[in-house]
Amino acid sequence: MTTEPQNVRIVITDGAIIPDPKERRIITAWSISFVGALAALVYLCTSRPDPYWRLLQFLPDGIAVTFKVTVLSILCSIPIGLVTGLGRLSRNRLINLVASTYVEVVRGIPLLVQLFYIYYALGRFLKVPDLLAAIIALSVCYGAYMGEVFRAGIDSISKGQTEAARSLGFNRAETMFMVILPQAWRTILPPVGNEFIAMLKDTSLVSIIAVADILRRGREFASESFLYFETYTMIALIYLLITLFLSKGVSIMESRLNYYDRR
Amino acid sequence: MLKKIVLTLAALLVTANVAFAEKTIVVAHDATWPPMEFVDASKNIVGFAVDYTDAMAKEAGFKVVHKNVAWDGIFAGLEAGSYDAIVSSVSITDERKKAMDFSTPYYEVRQALVVPKTTNVTKLDEMKGKTLGGQISTTGYFTIKKTAGVTAKSYDEIGLAMEDLFNGRIDGVVCDDPVAANYALQQEQYAAKMKIAFVIETQEKEFYGIAVKKGNKEVLDLLNKGIAAVQAKGIDKQLRAKWIGR
Repeated sequence: MTTEPQNVRIVITDGAIIPDPKERRIITAWSISFVGALAALVYLCTSRPDPYWRLLQFLPDGIAVTFKVTVLSILCSIPIGLVTGLGRLSRNRLINLVASTYVEVVRGIPLLVQLFYIYYALGRFLKVPDLLAAIIALSVCYGAYMGEVFRAGIDSISKGQTEAARSLGFNRAETMFMVILPQAWRTILPPVGNEFIAMLKDTSLVSIIAVADILRRGREFASESFLYFETYTMIALIYLLITLFLSKGVSIMESRLNYYDRR
Repeated sequence: MLKKIVLTLAALLVTANVAFAEKTIVVAHDATWPPMEFVDASKNIVGFAVDYTDAMAKEAGFKVVHKNVAWDGIFAGLEAGSYDAIVSSVSITDERKKAMDFSTPYYEVRQALVVPKTTNVTKLDEMKGKTLGGQISTTGYFTIKKTAGVTAKSYDEIGLAMEDLFNGRIDGVVCDDPVAANYALQQEQYAAKMKIAFVIETQEKEFYGIAVKKGNKEVLDLLNKGIAAVQAKGIDKQLRAKWIGR
């Protein structure tokens, strides 16, 4: 008996489940989670203002730090990812090797270890401030992931486009930046959005280098009040709400970008 | 054959009974606090508090199992019943007394400020506008937070705060005086660059106590008996000389 070669690939991203933009029903996993989390938050804050409301007032600067780290890291990791992605597709053997090695090395080291490395190990030589160290670690780490996203996005544009552009007299760079990339963006943006969500969750690791993000603020609150259950319930709800907001955002973006495919 | 098994089992039961006659108390340490409790080169939990607990156990007749637990969450573990007591340089404070019970004090402690050798200060107020670090949930960190005009930075371990001070990212570290002395005077690399600026004067004295879950009178009584015996025999002074040296 001969078996067909199987080409099934399971793709699970580390961000969030992005709600299907075509989903029209009201009761979905997203809406249940969102309404549930929001209701729990409001209920807790109104029924037991002490400690929940007090806790919520303690956290905003932590939320701001989390967002600051996430946004700046994403902004830095996109150019790194673009360069890496192009490098991985390059026909120049050296450039290709450098880009591939970078991806290989970075993906092989846990983010937590990278954070320790940049802050404490390199701290002996470079006095990188904590926030900057967090942003560097996250950008370098996610730059490698983004590189793969860019590579796949560029790969997805049919070869005919390149051939057409080249035969019209575009050089290679022009072909890439004026023909291929503008089309590839549509494929690239949703996974970039998902990486953004994954990164937001991973910023909870930066509390280890004493950056006062949501988690560290929560831990400080718990350590003084001994309200572990209350504190971590709140922290979990806040992370969940932010992630759900963002996943909806990515979903909306996806449906906008698919505008031309839907016709 | 069957007889043999039965006999062995019976023998085991008898010896086990003898062993279980002594109560076993599981004790949690956050072994990142030299010289009070830390992990030595052969991965054993050692230090003043560890020897102290062992001496108490011998005097009061109970068994001790030492457990290394991360500081952040050590009180949550006590509440959850993962261990019976915390012997980990826990200062007795009013806030903590609301959440747990304490043994009689076993060590008097003061808060010390560690700074780079080039800094000259004599009072905490002179550190206004500076960033000070401490370990999360310690009295040292609470002291920093209470000081007006100072930016407080909390670390998971005191060693990480000392490393940041060594690397020049923060201006000072506040922690218990035996720990401050260990880092600023005994660890060669740090001692070359850091010093203890002063010991912070407070109105109330600060003491280490052993924390147990609220209402766990059985364990508390045993511990207090042990502490009383250790103090009466002067073992605490020997241990002090051995680990702290003054």
